[in-house]
Amino acid sequence: MGVKLIVEKVTKRFGGVVALNRVSINVPSSLVVGLIGPNGSGKTTLFNVVTGYYTPDEGRVLIEGSGRVVDITGWNPNRISRLGVARTFQIPRLIPSLTVLENMLLFYDYGSCASITCSLRRKWVDVEEAAVARAMSILREFGLESIAHKRPAELSAGHLKLVETLRGLMSDAKLFMLDEPFAGVESWMARKLTDTIRKINREKGSTFVVIEHRITELLEGVDYVYVLHNGSLLAEGKPDEAVSDERVIKAYLGK
Amino acid sequence: MIDVLGFLITLTTYIGIYLVLSLTLTLEVSSGITNFGKVAFYGLGAYTGALIGTYLPLAITGSRASPFDVNGIQLLYTISKSNPVLDLSVFLLSLAAGFAVSALFGLLLTYPIHRVGSALVGFTLLSTGEVLRLFYLNTEPLGESKGFMGIPNPFAWLPQARGAEALYLIIVWCFVGLTYFIVSRIMNSPLGRILKGMRDDELVALYAGWPTPLIKSKVLALTSGLTGVAGVLWAYYFTSINPNMFTPSLTFNIWAMVILGGIDSIVGGVLGTVLLASVDYAARFVIPFIGTTLVTPDYLRWIIVGLVMLVVLLKKPEGLAPRRGGVSKL
Ligand SMILES: Nc1ncnc2c1ncn2[C@@H]1O[C@H](COP(=O)(O)OP(=O)(O)OP(=O)(O)O)[C@@H](O)[C@H]1O
Ligand SMILES: [Mg+2]
Repeated sequence: MGVKLIVEKVTKRFGGVVALNRVSINVPSSLVVGLIGPNGSGKTTLFNVVTGYYTPDEGRVLIEGSGRVVDITGWNPNRISRLGVARTFQIPRLIPSLTVLENMLLFYDYGSCASITCSLRRKWVDVEEAAVARAMSILREFGLESIAHKRPAELSAGHLKLVETLRGLMSDAKLFMLDEPFAGVESWMARKLTDTIRKINREKGSTFVVIEHRITELLEGVDYVYVLHNGSLLAEGKPDEAVSDERVIKAYLGK
Repeated sequence: MIDVLGFLITLTTYIGIYLVLSLTLTLEVSSGITNFGKVAFYGLGAYTGALIGTYLPLAITGSRASPFDVNGIQLLYTISKSNPVLDLSVFLLSLAAGFAVSALFGLLLTYPIHRVGSALVGFTLLSTGEVLRLFYLNTEPLGESKGFMGIPNPFAWLPQARGAEALYLIIVWCFVGLTYFIVSRIMNSPLGRILKGMRDDELVALYAGWPTPLIKSKVLALTSGLTGVAGVLWAYYFTSINPNMFTPSLTFNIWAMVILGGIDSIVGGVLGTVLLASVDYAARFVIPFIGTTLVTPDYLRWIIVGLVMLVVLLKKPEGLAPRRGGVSKL
């Protein structure tokens, strides 16, 4: 099942720069939505606020799932992640010294088996086995078995983005926030990414928020679009409505 | 006649104590903790041990002598000779206290800093080591610049001095074994992978759901506890300690051992330690025979150690380069 993401009048300032200005969005559960906007419009900042990297100066962030609303404003990223929110980064971040498989395992919830005492008593063997099985089955399902033992430095941009997305499945993420998953990715790989997003969305019901600033790349893949401009929500709606909005066209053409 | 066996026992004791320090540093480095304050925890352990080892026997036997004057030191020696139970108990208590004090200190000192930003930890620990040294230097109940001199040998009651030395060596190496066990178990576990992830890119580890500040502080508490034990072992081995033994150069010596062997590798760290500690100790042993007055023995030792590092790292530079990654832009 997916979760609903509610952002309520969030403001985030950096000194004089207002990166987000009373932004409110309401992403229904199990939907794939796009977040578009020109460079510097505040898209990544919104992700950083939702995932706990920044605390908003004003406003709230709420997650609603299985009939429960949780106010996650001010939570640390690790807690938000454990709640089922996964994110990717504009420039992919995998652990360079770990293989793809190990990078996936890092996102598995080992619970108390990650404690010092458990490590000393080597009580983690069964859990580790389950984690590896899970990671391998995910990689297999998306045709990535062959790169399981490669290190990030050996991967293409597309593969990095793909692995970064899939590692969210290790922790049963219910909300995926993908920051420019198509940037620098060859078109066949971009298609694979879109298929992956759709597949996860269909089979698990996960909610997706996908950032892209090149509108056309994204539009076919999403159900709904939010447009940010200068830190404010400029428009929202069905993809074709959003792009034909006059204000949006203006913002993209610059002025 | 040179006492070869005595030399070997001393050397291996010395190496053993250094191994506890370098093994724990290997775990710290592989967790992304830049501990520039090893000596802080080492000194804390040593002083905790010395404090217990001197004040406690005097108090228990009802003596009012100070552990810093001749009477007190003499009395401590007599007690250790004649009361094995007390002598050993004091030692064991010191080990436990040395662990606890250093561990707690590490946890409480670094948790708030790890939350703010890990980059600050190295410098905080570095300066903490110096602050502690100045504290020892200026605190009367800690013997000020002279330090403690009457720390009882835990096996002083044995009729044979050689036997006492050998037993002590075994104890030291038991702790080396324990430390090795702990460090390798952790590094080769899922937790070890999390620590590695934390070192390479703390933000990713955080986003993977791990409370990295807490994990780092817990690891540091454990390694610092063991470092404290090394300090206790040193204090009871040497039977006297003073603030001069706990300068930052000790920390960098241990870093040199770990870097020399290759960061990330337990075996490498062990090799680096054995090599550098041996060179260092041999230099300590040999230099007085040369009788040079041009440079002080300490400097000569440092030059030799530096040369060894230079040669080894020129031949095997991979020891020097930990894999680091991570992109700063989000
Ligand atoms: N840590 C920060 N400190 C200061 N200013 C920041 C910080 N992070 C973002 N900003 C500013 O906030 C504004 C929004 O930046 P953000 O990265 O969210 O934009 P974006 O929509 O993701 O742009 P892009 O398409 O280039 O990724 C920009 O003006 C940026 O310079
Ligand atoms: Mg961005």
